[in-house]
Amino acid sequence: MRTGNDLTTGPIPVGQFVNLVRNTLKQDKLFQNQVITGEITQWKRHSNGHTYFTLIDSDGQISAVIWQGRCNIDPLIEEGSVVVVIANLDLWAKAGKIQLVVSKIALVNKLGALEDRKKQLIADLRNEGLLDRTRLELPTIPHHIAIITGSGSAALADMNRLIDNRWPGLRRTIIGVMVQGENAPGEIVRGLLAASKLSVPEIADKMEVPPVDLIIVGRGGGAPEDLWAFNLEPVVRAIVASRVPVVSAVGHESDLMVADLVADLRASTPSNAIELTVPEYDYHQMLNVSLLERLDDAAQRIIIDWRRSLQLLQSRLVNAPLRGVYNAYQHVSELGNRLSNIVADRFSEERQRLHRHTTMIEFAIHKKLADETTRLAVLNTSLNSSNPRNVLHRGYSMITNKSGSVISKTDDLTEGQQITLALADGRAKATVDGIEEGDKNE
Amino acid sequence: MSKEMSYSKAIQRLEEIVQSLERGGIPLDETLKLYEEGAKLLAFCQQELAAAEGKLNEMKLADIENKLSE
Repeated sequence: MRTGNDLTTGPIPVGQFVNLVRNTLKQDKLFQNQVITGEITQWKRHSNGHTYFTLIDSDGQISAVIWQGRCNIDPLIEEGSVVVVIANLDLWAKAGKIQLVVSKIALVNKLGALEDRKKQLIADLRNEGLLDRTRLELPTIPHHIAIITGSGSAALADMNRLIDNRWPGLRRTIIGVMVQGENAPGEIVRGLLAASKLSVPEIADKMEVPPVDLIIVGRGGGAPEDLWAFNLEPVVRAIVASRVPVVSAVGHESDLMVADLVADLRASTPSNAIELTVPEYDYHQMLNVSLLERLDDAAQRIIIDWRRSLQLLQSRLVNAPLRGVYNAYQHVSELGNRLSNIVADRFSEERQRLHRHTTMIEFAIHKKLADETTRLAVLNTSLNSSNPRNVLHRGYSMITNKSGSVISKTDDLTEGQQITLALADGRAKATVDGIEEGDKNE
Repeated sequence: MSKEMSYSKAIQRLEEIVQSLERGGIPLDETLKLYEEGAKLLAFCQQELAAAEGKLNEMKLADIENKLSE
């Protein structure tokens, strides 16, 4: 290779000259692995896989290329981004063009760029009406919670501990996903999808669990970039799309994610999510028991009152026909049966109380029937005492005329009339021989 | 019990029933109906409490996806 101006050999072909320049550049350490910062313009991701752009600031500019696969390109990098690159200077001989061949590229103010994207996403969601859409109602007692978070994380341990404090053995499915890094958004979205599938009754049936009725998605605290998955559109859209209420539980109190803005409920931390969604078993069990006791006490009082009015009814029934008593008995016994059937499936304490109630009703009914029987016996006795046949036994007899009418006065008799005498054990025919009127007042 | 019955609605209705039974002055048939309804609601609430109990199932994303696609 020529190293100087040697007139004897004639002019250098331009290509050779350019390559000479290239070699010189490549040998100078100043131009290799240099760290350079600037703003991106003419950012172009070519269909051939390479990325071309120009790095520029107020004092100069230079073309740059990122060969396909040479380095990771942050998806946030775009036209106007301020970046820092590590690059070698190279000269493309064919075009006589100097360019940077980039081996690393990063945003200078990544967080700033992230914040800009976040703001844009929030604005888009607001325009679509997704921030003030009607939220899904959370179940008072969740039958199956799906928790999407980092497996083995401290946040998960906290949540599990809190759940078991509040409602020991509450059913839950934990879906372990990456919550930070490149794969986090995709995995969180897939986790939400899996939880949604588990909320479909047919699918849940196959897995022999009740359908998922609550989803908690989140992670513990970390650097803003580590939490960023929860500010990204795919995750946010997946939360919006869920048919099951979603609680977002990301980071600390002060971290506000876009996920928080669209979720059906925002919890300030993972632990807070449990406090907001998992009820206390003891409280609800006590509530149930107290309602049961009040219901039974009230019913018992009513039954006692009822028994009193039954007794009252009893005394009024003295003059009622037997059929009425029978109907009343049927009614009361039917009510009693219903009352005892009602609570067949309830806890034993209540069943016992009910049994007492039923016994009281039966007692009342039996007592009423016994009283009724007594009343009938009394009626029978007084009826018997006024039966004329009993009088005949005492030596009296009853006179009837031909037509069977009872004759009690001499006025109804004529001499020679045929009469019948009824005696205790039979009858006798007689003829009236004479009539003597006695004292009419007798 | 209607399909849309929720635990909180059941508790609310139970409270109403208990209060009106406690107030009294209701005909016997109505009392029995209310008691019957209250008993059913309580049974439903007990079921709800029992239904929340189950296993803790922890799975990696890929495992649950595999299981769901079976």
